[in-house]
Amino acid sequence: MASKYIALPKGISEQTFDAAVRDFSRVLGDESVLTAPERLAPYIKTMMPVPDSEHTLSAALMATTVEQIQKILAICNKYKIPIWTISTGKNLGYGSAAPAERGQVVLDLKRMNRILEVDKDLAYALVEPGVTYQQLYDYIKERNLGLWLSVPAPSAIAGPTGNTLDRGVGYTPYGEHFLFACGMEVVLANGDVLRTGMGSLPNSNTWQVFKWGYGPYLDGIFTQSNYGIVTKFGFWLMPAPSAYRPFVIRYQNEEDIEEIVEIMRPLRINGVIPNAVVIAHALYEAPVIARRSDYVTGPGSISDVAVRKLVKDHNLGIWNVYAALYGTEEQIALNWKIVTQAFGKSGRGQILTQQDVGDDPAFAYRAALMRGDMNLQEFSLYNWRGGGGSMWFAPVSQARGSETLKQMSLTKQILAKHGLDYSGEFIVGMRDMHHIVDVLYDKTDPAQEKAAYQCFDELLTVFSAQGYGTYRVNSAFMDKVASTYGPVQRQVHKTLKKALDPNGILAPGKSGIR
Amino acid sequence: MTRKKPMGRGRSSTFVLTPIVMAFVLDAIAQVAPENPAPASAPGAKWKNGAEVYAKICGYCHENGKVGPVILGRQLPPAYIHAVVRNGSRAMPPFRFSEIDEESLAKLAEYISKSQNTQ
Repeated sequence: MASKYIALPKGISEQTFDAAVRDFSRVLGDESVLTAPERLAPYIKTMMPVPDSEHTLSAALMATTVEQIQKILAICNKYKIPIWTISTGKNLGYGSAAPAERGQVVLDLKRMNRILEVDKDLAYALVEPGVTYQQLYDYIKERNLGLWLSVPAPSAIAGPTGNTLDRGVGYTPYGEHFLFACGMEVVLANGDVLRTGMGSLPNSNTWQVFKWGYGPYLDGIFTQSNYGIVTKFGFWLMPAPSAYRPFVIRYQNEEDIEEIVEIMRPLRINGVIPNAVVIAHALYEAPVIARRSDYVTGPGSISDVAVRKLVKDHNLGIWNVYAALYGTEEQIALNWKIVTQAFGKSGRGQILTQQDVGDDPAFAYRAALMRGDMNLQEFSLYNWRGGGGSMWFAPVSQARGSETLKQMSLTKQILAKHGLDYSGEFIVGMRDMHHIVDVLYDKTDPAQEKAAYQCFDELLTVFSAQGYGTYRVNSAFMDKVASTYGPVQRQVHKTLKKALDPNGILAPGKSGIR
Repeated sequence: MTRKKPMGRGRSSTFVLTPIVMAFVLDAIAQVAPENPAPASAPGAKWKNGAEVYAKICGYCHENGKVGPVILGRQLPPAYIHAVVRNGSRAMPPFRFSEIDEESLAKLAEYISKSQNTQ
């Protein structure tokens, strides 16, 4: 007899699952326990090069309160049901809203979306997991609070809790999001509610202003992990500066990245340029203004000659460095002088401001992101190949010119071997760079899907062999990446898992932890 | 593709306010009578009207065809819009019942379907 469920958790019989679903319904009401195929369809689609059936959920639960989550966890412990928590569910290119393993129940916290506090003076926010950046943006604007967000490229439809817990980044001076996290409330697998840092102290009013509390700092173990369910999340906001000057520096050769990074590093470390600068390759920029089919026919990756033509046709750089200055007009004038002198010396880069580029859409979206505005223009990347396939390859690099060039060349070479293009950028931290490459492919083409899988696997293998680790990965490759960090770290992760979640009900497989 | 101006901003919305107020009420109910199931109209998925959803989500990609195709003024059938929203299409992500409930999606589909061609 066919099952009434589209999938079941591993090792759980239909009868046991029936009992669990009945119990979930008692807590949430039938309307908030989804098992019908049409209701679960929006959770299934991913951009990964594996069959969506490998990540098909069994049910989705729409919870809105801590009490409901505590009861859900009690039921999961009773029946040993694995539960995969999502907030806004827009982790596109990393697994979207689908669970790591087939049959897991998705705990969907999108409707748990209260903005609990925004403090204008201390410039912080405390929100629930379902709050989107758009929601918070509107809240701040309506109240004229004079605070800026830092957002990832899918800004409007993503949210601060999920993005920061997966250690995502934005593009303002607050761009390394977890650095600016301050205080969490976490429901543990046994139902206990932990408030991290100063939040554990009764009557404390410093939960969102002092990160460390007393004793071992715990917030980190609830990021990229499966040790608890974060139900409240505090983080710092940037006071809106009185002046803002975004700019782009265009370079015309791939080798120029050595110069860019060597000039940029001291400016970043010394705080002259305060934001998470982006060094975007032409093929990361191109989809906003150009079509791939105008430059490539047939299979294989785009040639260097075609990239040069594209760059010329559309007035791009091979590298496009987006950065901004923030502060008073006086501060900006002083720092602008330092920046233009530093980048002007060799004569290789062309420095352009808003006035120079006019309504250039690529500049407009970068300028929006560097001030935390809502904008989804980066999704143009998905039009480059078409067909909805995308994985973020995200190795970490030193902020050293020779290293970035080496990583870029290596990535490009492996992508080309599999017929794929290098759509890459470097997001500049102070001493590190997040090398971000969108491995784009046509998911409707089985040959390209297979090539993309093999390519990504090879990228991880080759990079880790050279000592380059990836900081974040989609759910099809979590085990592989976990293995690259060695057995001792993996064992520590496992020991923590056993201590905090002995039945293994919370998101088994997240970051390779079970 | 031609170069297009970025989409304008500045229209305020009550999207935030209503769910927050509702959520406080629901939270209070949950604390008093935690066995009570949450009502179907849980916070977070109700939108004021189709124009609001378009402005806050769809328009970022579809306005003037910036990323996805133009969808206004094409008399697209509501059933088609419903299907694309719930299932996604190629790179477009699907949107869940937790993000937009059926009533709000019906309003959105009607708004898009009956919109005039202004682009």
